[in-house]
Formats: sequence, C-alpha cells, structure tokens
Amino acid sequence: MKEHLRTQLAGFFISVTLINVAMFVLGIMLQPDYRFGYEAFAYPLIYGVIGSVPGLVMYSKKELTVWQTLIREFIQMVLIVALIIAFMFGRFHITREYVPQIIGVSLSVMIIYVLVHVFSWLMDLKTASKMTEDLKAFQAKASGEK
Amino acid sequence: MEITVKTIGGTEKEYIEIGCHRKDERVDEIIRFIRSREGILKGTKEDRQYNIPLPDILYIEAVDEKTFIYLEKDCYESGRRLYEFESALISRNFARISKSVIVNLMKINSIKPSLNGRFSCVLTNGEQVIISRKYVPDIKERLKGGSV
Repeated sequence: MKEHLRTQLAGFFISVTLINVAMFVLGIMLQPDYRFGYEAFAYPLIYGVIGSVPGLVMYSKKELTVWQTLIREFIQMVLIVALIIAFMFGRFHITREYVPQIIGVSLSVMIIYVLVHVFSWLMDLKTASKMTEDLKAFQAKASGEK
Repeated sequence: MEITVKTIGGTEKEYIEIGCHRKDERVDEIIRFIRSREGILKGTKEDRQYNIPLPDILYIEAVDEKTFIYLEKDCYESGRRLYEFESALISRNFARISKSVIVNLMKINSIKPSLNGRFSCVLTNGEQVIISRKYVPDIKERLKGGSV
C-alpha cells in the first residue's frame, strides 16, 4: 500500500503540472478573453486530487497480469474523465455550446493520463537502469571478481 | 593422481581446475561433489528425485499449493514451502521479488520497468519474472548494499 501511495503521489504532481499546461492551451484555444481570479491557482490541485481518487479506490493487493493492468488503467481513465466532466460541467444545463468544451476537456484528460504514465515509466526506466548497474556490481562482488 | 592446491590473492576469483586425459565418470563424480558443496536443493520430476545445485537455479515459484524450481531448461517440483526456501536461501544470493517468486540474483541479466510501478527481471534464459511494488525497495537496498 505504501508503494502504491508513493506511485499515486508521484502521479498527482505530474498531473498537476500537466493540467496547468492543458488549462493554458485549452484556454487560449477556446476562451482566450476569459479572465480568472486567484482561485485559478487551486484548479490544477483540485483536478489533480479528483484524478487521483480512482487510483486510490482501485488499489488491488493482487498481482495483476499485463492485460488485467491495462483494462484496469482504461477503466480508471474513463472514471477520471467522468469525474472531471461532472465537476466542471455538472452544475450547468448542458447545451450544444458546451460540447466542444467537454470534448476538449475529455481529450486533455486522456492525453494527461497517458503522459503521466509515460513520465512515470521514464522515471522507472532510470530506476531500472540504476538497479541493473547495482546488480552487476553485486554479481561481480558475489562471484569474487571485485 | 596428483593434487595441487595453490593459494591465490583475495582479489582473485577462486577456481578449481581439473587436468584429465578424458572427461569420464570419475571426473563427473568430482564435479558433482564440488557442486554439492555450493549447496543443493532436492526436487522431483516425473517421480524421480534429483539434487539441484543452487547456482543452476533461476527462480523458485509457488503456484497454488505447489512449489516449482526453475532451471535454464528444466523445472522440478518441491514439497517445501516458499517461505522455507526464503529463509534458507536469503544468504545465498536469492531474494524474494513477489508473493510467489524467489529469484537467484546471479541469474538476472537486467532489470526493466513493467506496468504499474513494477519491474521485470530478465533472466539468463530470456525468461522474465516480475518484481512487485512491495518488494522493489528491498531489492534496491539489497543490490545497493551489496550484501552477499
């Protein structure tokens, strides 16, 4: 569980950064004249928390296979999209005007979700490379080469 | 047969060399004895019991109620539980990497990232076994510390 929380926390911080970028890009594209107050600084954090909830809820003690993990990740992504859309547009009466915004937000969430995993994987790649290096030193020591 | 024992420096790798005219049953017996000194496990395959030298083992896996010992090409069954192997082999370059697997650290070629914060060990025969999230910190520490 501790390791899972650590993974989720790393995901949260990567998400917050990417949400900032997405808000900037979507804002420029869809509502370039819209102005926010200081509360805008809180949005990436709130969205980051919302995005982390399904990950915490869907924790499994079981060792999942690659396919089970992929299916779980897909369900998690759909849940995050649904939660973010509900949070952002839930209080409005949805009309056609909102459709491009909903599509834009959904796509952004999906892109962010994929990017979070790509960045996490790149960090894991670095860790794995360090572990392999340590492993080689361990093996050399164990076999008396050093 | 002449026996020569040579003392070598502490930095050199220890070795045993056998000089013989041909590798016959007598030489095989000496090799088996030497390997048995490195440690063996007992495993069964097709109702026959075998002595498996520790350095030949890739990993040990528990599946349902059974425990299997995997070598490069062979697989043997054992009546012992995984936790028994874990306590017996921890000082022999073996490490627990998941709920169901103990791996021979000397038989890992490389480590690569897998999905969901897990890592995958690529073994000398190309097979891959998963290091689960829970065991990643222990493995890192074991490799970094170089406790042999």
